[in-house]
Amino acid sequence: MAYQIEVSHLSKHYQVHDKEPGLAGSLRSFFARKYRVVKAVDDVSFTIGQGEMVGFLGPNGAGKTTTLKVLSGLLYPTAGNATVLGFTPHQRETAYLKQFTLVMGQKQQLMWDLPALETFLVNQAIYEIPRAQFDATLKELDDLLDLGPIMKKQVRKLSLGERMKCELAAALLHRPKVLFLDEPTIGLDVTMQVRIRDFIAAFNKRYGATVILTSHYMADVTALCDRIIVIDKGHLFYDGNFRALIERVAPYKIIKLQLERPTTSEVLSQFGKVEFSDGLTAVLHVPRASATESAARLLAQLKVEDVTFEDPPVEDIIREVFAVNAASNPTAQE
Amino acid sequence: MLNKYLALTRSAWMLSLEYRAEGLVWMMTNMLSIIMMVVWMSISRNRSVNGFSTGDFVAYYMVGLIVRQFASAWTSWEMSNEIREGSLSPQLLRPIHPIHRHVTANWAEHVMRFVLLGPIVLVVLILTPDAHLFLTPISISAFLFSLLGAWFITFLSDYAIGILAFWTSQATAFTQAVYGLRTVFSGVLAPIQMFPLVIQNALDWLPFRYMLAFSNEILLGQTRDERLLFGLVIQWAWVVFFFILTRILWKLGVRSYGAVGA
Repeated sequence: MAYQIEVSHLSKHYQVHDKEPGLAGSLRSFFARKYRVVKAVDDVSFTIGQGEMVGFLGPNGAGKTTTLKVLSGLLYPTAGNATVLGFTPHQRETAYLKQFTLVMGQKQQLMWDLPALETFLVNQAIYEIPRAQFDATLKELDDLLDLGPIMKKQVRKLSLGERMKCELAAALLHRPKVLFLDEPTIGLDVTMQVRIRDFIAAFNKRYGATVILTSHYMADVTALCDRIIVIDKGHLFYDGNFRALIERVAPYKIIKLQLERPTTSEVLSQFGKVEFSDGLTAVLHVPRASATESAARLLAQLKVEDVTFEDPPVEDIIREVFAVNAASNPTAQE
Repeated sequence: MLNKYLALTRSAWMLSLEYRAEGLVWMMTNMLSIIMMVVWMSISRNRSVNGFSTGDFVAYYMVGLIVRQFASAWTSWEMSNEIREGSLSPQLLRPIHPIHRHVTANWAEHVMRFVLLGPIVLVVLILTPDAHLFLTPISISAFLFSLLGAWFITFLSDYAIGILAFWTSQATAFTQAVYGLRTVFSGVLAPIQMFPLVIQNALDWLPFRYMLAFSNEILLGQTRDERLLFGLVIQWAWVVFFFILTRILWKLGVRSYGAVGA
């Protein structure tokens, strides 16, 4: 099997009814409902190979989660095909359900009133995980996530971060081959985000699992995924290497300068494109290829108090992709 | 499958124990049976009503308490919430049909309540002088079999109502409507023998009587032989009907599931 996940011309359209605000609006919609079709996913195609980690990027309501739900078999596609591990997800065959997992940052499978360990034990039974394998996996997950004391506390008494750790453990006990992670770090503080991120990377490495990740936090995607798929309004905008995308739409690095004495923009412009300058501080964009060289020249010729080199923020890059694509054609692919 | 059931039952038990106070309150919903028993006892004080003596009413309602306790379901409420809020999604991802979790939750709760209710019913039956039960090997086996049938009809019909939430997002209005019909026609307000003959005949063919009164009648010795056999056939025909109905509805419902939220 060449690909683990194959999606071709996938569409998912919803019929929703609009309700105007207020009581009058409610009354009007009671008597005459206005329906409209929302194209949550529209003619999307891509393939993903074993062990790949792919980031889904796009604004809210772009169709990321809908795509994951179709791939998990929760939703029937309106048109097109999706296969995962050779299965058609919406047929929800037991053999398929045992081989993947979907973790939703905002939905939980843990039993609220019992310790997480109870959910683990139930999962052991319903996923038919042999005792020895269950113990070994739980131990590994414990090592990676530090579950020790928290898995014996009632779930409702856990903090959000602790709960997410247990949620991940419950979802991974059966060692799924494919992981769909929908906003796994939502609402977590930065330290916890990093923990979860490291964990996902470690799990991918150890088990060769294929991962699709959606996240609002660009850092999650930058840290984990070489490849990204950008979706907006149901359309696929970009599918390809993350670095290549940056090279294409943002082929520069950002140099932030703190100067010892006032320097004019004319002087600064010898080193790069001046984005901002007020004499003592300045922001320059320099071509990525010659960034090191310009930096060296700059430091040799100017009195610099402080300097930082940055990649353009990913948010800007994505915005750039949308702008470029909106101008040319909306389904351009790498 | 056995292992899966054991694991689910274990957690269902733990949850029931977690909510033991709530379980007690739910038992109070049986008050209607007690009230009706007292009403019929006072009506039948001087002479029997349609063949029922005061002791018969006590026996009828005491057996009825057990049957009604066992043949009760509240799954449609839970499903309604799960579907509307999207918390059904994680359940659909597991390699086991979500119905099994509801079944084990239902049984765990019944065991709980039976432990509390059983001794009370036994004591009342012993202390009431002319509350007679018709206890023969056949009547006892038929009673237990009818009890299982009553559970299936109650649970599956309630489950079918729950599935309607896939389309309406809220199914509890149906639950209430059916609860009303059931209270009247299953034999909670009055034994079936108190109804006009036309209604009695109709109830022979409808599912309501088989959710409660039928089992009571078997243990009171009022329904025997061919009537008993006929009743069991109709009851289990309804079990099969609801079984098929829930299967079809579920298939269609999951198709139109919106997987709400996030």
